[in-house]
Amino acid sequence: MKLFREVVAVAAKDVRIEARSRYALGAVLPFAATVLIAFGLSIGPGRTLLQETAPGLLWLAVLFASILSFRRSYEAEGEDGALEGLLLAPVDKAAVFLGKAAAVAGQLLVLEVVVVLLVSALFGLSLGSEPAVLAGAFVLGTIGLAGVGSLFGVLTESARAREAVFPLLVLPLATPVLVAAVRATALATGSPGGGGGSWLGLLLAFDVVFLSTGTLVYGYLLED
Amino acid sequence: MSSSGASNALLPASRPGSIPDRRGAAAIELSGVTRVFGMSPALVRVTLTVDRGETLLVRGPNGAGKSTLLRVMGTALSPTYGGGSVLGFDLSRERDEIRRRTELLGHRTRLYEDLSARENLRFACVLYGIDQDGIGAVLERVGLLDVAGERVRAFSQGMRQRVAVARALMREPELLLLDEPYAGLDADAKEVVDEAITAARADGRTVVLATHDPTRGAIADRTVHMEQGRMLPGEPARRSGRDQVTAG
Amino acid sequence: MVAAERLMGKVTARRGERLLGWSALTALAVSAVFSLVIAPPDAEQGEVQRLMYVHVPAAWLAYLAFGVVFASSIAYLVTKKTRWDRLAVASAEVGVLFTALTIALGALWGKPVWGTWWTWDPRLTTTAILLLIYVGYLAVRRLPDSPARRARWGAVVGIVGFLDVPIVHLSVLWWRSLHQLPTVARLGKPTIAPIMLAALLVAVAAFTLVYLYLVAFRLRVGRLEERVVAEALSPRLGEPVDRLMQDVDLPVEAPAGG
Repeated sequence: MKLFREVVAVAAKDVRIEARSRYALGAVLPFAATVLIAFGLSIGPGRTLLQETAPGLLWLAVLFASILSFRRSYEAEGEDGALEGLLLAPVDKAAVFLGKAAAVAGQLLVLEVVVVLLVSALFGLSLGSEPAVLAGAFVLGTIGLAGVGSLFGVLTESARAREAVFPLLVLPLATPVLVAAVRATALATGSPGGGGGSWLGLLLAFDVVFLSTGTLVYGYLLED
Repeated sequence: MSSSGASNALLPASRPGSIPDRRGAAAIELSGVTRVFGMSPALVRVTLTVDRGETLLVRGPNGAGKSTLLRVMGTALSPTYGGGSVLGFDLSRERDEIRRRTELLGHRTRLYEDLSARENLRFACVLYGIDQDGIGAVLERVGLLDVAGERVRAFSQGMRQRVAVARALMREPELLLLDEPYAGLDADAKEVVDEAITAARADGRTVVLATHDPTRGAIADRTVHMEQGRMLPGEPARRSGRDQVTAG
Repeated sequence: MVAAERLMGKVTARRGERLLGWSALTALAVSAVFSLVIAPPDAEQGEVQRLMYVHVPAAWLAYLAFGVVFASSIAYLVTKKTRWDRLAVASAEVGVLFTALTIALGALWGKPVWGTWWTWDPRLTTTAILLLIYVGYLAVRRLPDSPARRARWGAVVGIVGFLDVPIVHLSVLWWRSLHQLPTVARLGKPTIAPIMLAALLVAVAAFTLVYLYLVAFRLRVGRLEERVVAEALSPRLGEPVDRLMQDVDLPVEAPAGG
């Protein structure tokens, strides 16, 4: 199928660029680690409080770091006007959106594995109790984030958007992801709170809404 | 879902290739096209007709609006006022059809810095739905076969331009829009660009060439001059004998 | 959609706008009498409960305004007519104003009743996020140079932002139910005295008129803004001003003198 082939080509291109430039490894990951350390210093050293807040801190670190990843994803398109090439190619713009979202979701998942390990080490978060819910929260939450970020990442073509407008737009829109993913993570790691699979359902609803709407409207963002 | 951009899911879908060519129409017809950036006009009431198979040369100093004109023709920019058609398709409503048949070689080479020349061309092949077998041949033609595996980041401006030329060579678009294609190229590579123009002419395809390189453009059928976003009253068209250019 | 455009034309003509202004003012006066004099003070909260007659209508208007942004954003993408974009931005600006007002009034009400300016009540929290989303909408609109691109970017944010609101509300609602405080539950009272309900409905109607007036006013400002641009460009392009005004079939009056 043509659309699928185009999605794969766009995603593969983004992953290859990321693998070459190692931006995630060199900048995003250290940034996430810095955020976590800063959280620890501002809240700690009481072990109980750290444990209780760990799911929230984890996802805040992921959220902030994801902003950098989205920006990087579109930086590669902007360096030499490649985004215009995508616009002018007779390719379904939905494929561009889905491909970029898939690539950035993949990068974020890798990042999250490291962040989770860091959080469990730094804040004493236990990972064992419900691995399926934990995995579900990360996969669904990441898809939703990648959807918002890849849709509005187009705006970073404008220099002013890169500074403040992009995060100002993405962070409030992503509130449901933050809330639901934190709760699901808290439930899965056995901290007090939680509310069952309904949080995963909410994440799924967010993913469906953003991916489908993004697919429909992405072309409008690209056009002059 | 339509295949791209201007037409979108909220509008009636157009299937790829479902609209047949409109051979009867002129290659380009612009009527009162004006483009404004912020408050400064880059293109002022340009009215212009280019025939099928014609090679048009656009001359003018820097900032005359040559690039804007070609970008409007290639649907990279939309006119602020006025409109027209390219290859018989409406500039604002049928952009997909225009894009399928047009190649715009612009100032920016639209390459990915962290991909090699070959990888950039491969990705372009997927985007344009063309066969990847020809990549080696075009790379050889622009003299980049030896460095095809190296990242574009390390390339000079001239080498980048050659990759962009190679990408344009892989397609055989009905309309070829060349915006300063010789920039940074050595004599051999300039020759490749000229060969491409000659080949397009031989096929009866249309070429619009904007350049201020005085040694180039002799091949054109007609020359128009631009200044401050306006078409200057033209010299008589050499080929068709009628003056199709009206000043704004 | 054509009927809607015609209605918009009537409402935003200068006379329609004046009429709207006077009716809004009258309705506000009537509403003030109803809420301050006719309606009795609340049995438990006393006089402070009268804040309901401004807080609830303001909140209703916030959602109405963003609903209009949503609808006119879709209308813009479908028709590409600038008037829908003008309506979207007019409604968004008025909506942001009323959202901020809702939060401020909620805080004023919350202080004596709950003993705190702010509580993580689901409705309050959703409203705060709503405010941020549409502040973002207005910020995005300032980015592009090209008016068409500004309208398109705005439309996308206007659509996506509104679709996000129910999910935000649901997430905050479920999140809040974890730490239920007894005071919050009282907000949604099951019964309301008929006279209080009447005062509330009058207030909602009055506020809706105010909204319509402000939007009509902002639409006229929008057209004047376009006229200023057209007048500045006109000599440079050698085109008459009227031809540079896109998609304006409504009479536009000159800014001063009239």
